[in-house]
Amino acid sequence: MNTAPLRDLVRENENGLNGGSGGDYTRLRELLVGPEQSRLEELQRRLDDRQLRTEDLSQIVAEAIALRARRDHSLQHALNPLIEEAVQTSVRRNPAVLANALYPVIGEAVRKSVAHALSGLVESINQTLERSLSLEALMWRIEGWRTGRPFGEVVLTRSLRYRVEQVFLIHRETGLLLQHVARSEQLIQDSDMVSGMLTAIQDFIRDSFAGTGGQGIETVEMGEFNLWVQHGPTAILAVAVTGTPPPELRNLLQRTLERVEAEYGPLLSSFTGDATAFDEARPLLESCLLGQQAQKVAKQSRFFFMAFAVTLLLAIGLGFFLIARSHRRWDLLVEQLRNEPGIVLTGADRFWWGRRYELVGLRDPLSTDPDKLIRASGLDPEKVTSRWEPYVSLDGKFALSREFETEKTALEQTVLRFPLNSAQLSAEQLAKLDDIEVHISKLQNDGAMIGKKFTIELQGNTDPSGDEAKNDKLSQLRAEVVEKALVSRGVSPDMLRIVALGSRQPEKRATGAYLTELNRRVKFLVITGKEAAR
Amino acid sequence: MIKKKICMVGAYGVGKTSLVARFVSSMFSERYQTTVGVKIDKKVVQHPTGEVTLLLWDLAGEDAVTTVRPAHLKGSAGYILVMDGLRRNTLAVAIDLQGRVREAAGNIPFVCVVNKADLRESWEIRQADLDDLVSRGWTVVETSAKTGAAVEGLFHTLTDTMMQELHVDDSTADAIAG
Repeated sequence: MNTAPLRDLVRENENGLNGGSGGDYTRLRELLVGPEQSRLEELQRRLDDRQLRTEDLSQIVAEAIALRARRDHSLQHALNPLIEEAVQTSVRRNPAVLANALYPVIGEAVRKSVAHALSGLVESINQTLERSLSLEALMWRIEGWRTGRPFGEVVLTRSLRYRVEQVFLIHRETGLLLQHVARSEQLIQDSDMVSGMLTAIQDFIRDSFAGTGGQGIETVEMGEFNLWVQHGPTAILAVAVTGTPPPELRNLLQRTLERVEAEYGPLLSSFTGDATAFDEARPLLESCLLGQQAQKVAKQSRFFFMAFAVTLLLAIGLGFFLIARSHRRWDLLVEQLRNEPGIVLTGADRFWWGRRYELVGLRDPLSTDPDKLIRASGLDPEKVTSRWEPYVSLDGKFALSREFETEKTALEQTVLRFPLNSAQLSAEQLAKLDDIEVHISKLQNDGAMIGKKFTIELQGNTDPSGDEAKNDKLSQLRAEVVEKALVSRGVSPDMLRIVALGSRQPEKRATGAYLTELNRRVKFLVITGKEAAR
Repeated sequence: MIKKKICMVGAYGVGKTSLVARFVSSMFSERYQTTVGVKIDKKVVQHPTGEVTLLLWDLAGEDAVTTVRPAHLKGSAGYILVMDGLRRNTLAVAIDLQGRVREAAGNIPFVCVVNKADLRESWEIRQADLDDLVSRGWTVVETSAKTGAAVEGLFHTLTDTMMQELHVDDSTADAIAG
């Protein structure tokens, strides 16, 4: 195409523009760029006209925002201060507007928060009570005070009643497992499926019971096994715990989840299935694997408990045995005392399970000594107090004893007298022998009945006159005469013993002529007990 | 490692559970479906970019009393829509379900499965019905839970589409249709 004529035309027009006749140029221009010119002017007008520009923009602004929001978060960042300021302004200007708008949700939020706090409070009250009274808790408090750590933290690390076995970090919307840590790899079932099922069950519970507003399950308890779930806006933290977890664990879960949400917030909200990014969250989750092996501890404490229980049982058993033994001894003693002749028991009391005993009663002086029985019983004599009133028993044994004593006294008061320097008994004195014989035979009878052995000493005496050898012989003779006389009357000679005293044991009252006569005699002495056996 | 949530939806008795039973690892009993309304299985698929773990939410089949819970669909990256070639009404249920899933989970990739391909001669669903679905932009696969035909491929198809989806912002249905 030849462009020369057009070039000339343009040049001509320029000339026209520079002062030449411009009618042709203007026409030409209108012909060539007229429509574009008017469109340019229209555009110019639209750009200059605020009204029109606003209208145009209003048609696309929503789509533009949506598009940009999908691409990145810069719009949120840009709008954030504006919204904050707008809310502040709105509140400053008229708080009622925002209050009215929030009213339907705020009641729900407050109720939920209060209910949550209350349930936490109730949960902790029992443990607090239990803890504030135990030695273990005191040690923990001291440890907390010593190391400057809060008490709750000490409880979490020292509490031996629970163990966190597994920790799941779950993406809230998809139910996909983001990260999982477990104490023992053997325990793990397929954690991906567990995580999904957990989310599905949460949905199920929420749909079936809690309505749409519910947060979801927070605790699942199954005997020793607990599942604690903490919900965040974009993630869920679930821990499987054995034993009884302390309430402080809930706070730890909350803090951990808050940190996860803060660190991984953008990743969580734009999550498309790539879980590798959450590998860095492992240490955070591992810090939740707290607690000790509950079973081991339980066993150990059970051992101590058993040892303590066995000792206690043994101590109680021994106590009972001792009490029972002293009871039996006491009963036997009381029985014995009741059966003892010459003893009448009127009171037998036991105080303080055998700490003290008291015996009250009547006692014949001839009866067995009760103290001897008490010592023989095995009871501590110190613990037994006794008070005995004397009395005369009519028991046959004591009657015979008393008769024996009477006969003995009577015999010992009998004196056979002899003339000076003679071993011959006068007729008057001989008559006394019959009485003596009666006394002796009674003693013999009674002694046999009460089991008392005795010997009768025939003591020959002389007055102090004359020499001693002669007197000894005379006293011997006098005793022999009496012995012969008694034996002739039927008294066994085994029972009699002759003692020649000479003048060595004068009658004390015997001074003066008359009284010396009293010393010319034979006296009787009844010897019982060991002496008699010789 | 990439993980994806997949839902299995369809009318009651179309064979959702038996369709995947041989191809997935499972630890929960089928009772969960009747109680909780869902059973979760796992399937690991090899993909050029690496292993992809699919978590299959096998939702209870739709019937007169059971409807799919929207909460279960939330967060899915894709779904498998199952119908029974022998029962024509399952087609209508599937179309209805597709609409509801899109409402709950957005315009996410899915594969439409016509089960019981081993009895193809007695199908009530006609070729024309399937052509209609394809013209809507659906990916339609004929499978047989009995013979296992095309089941493994089904997961790969869906995985490929979902992984593509990571890089494509446009409408999913168009991408699958192409």
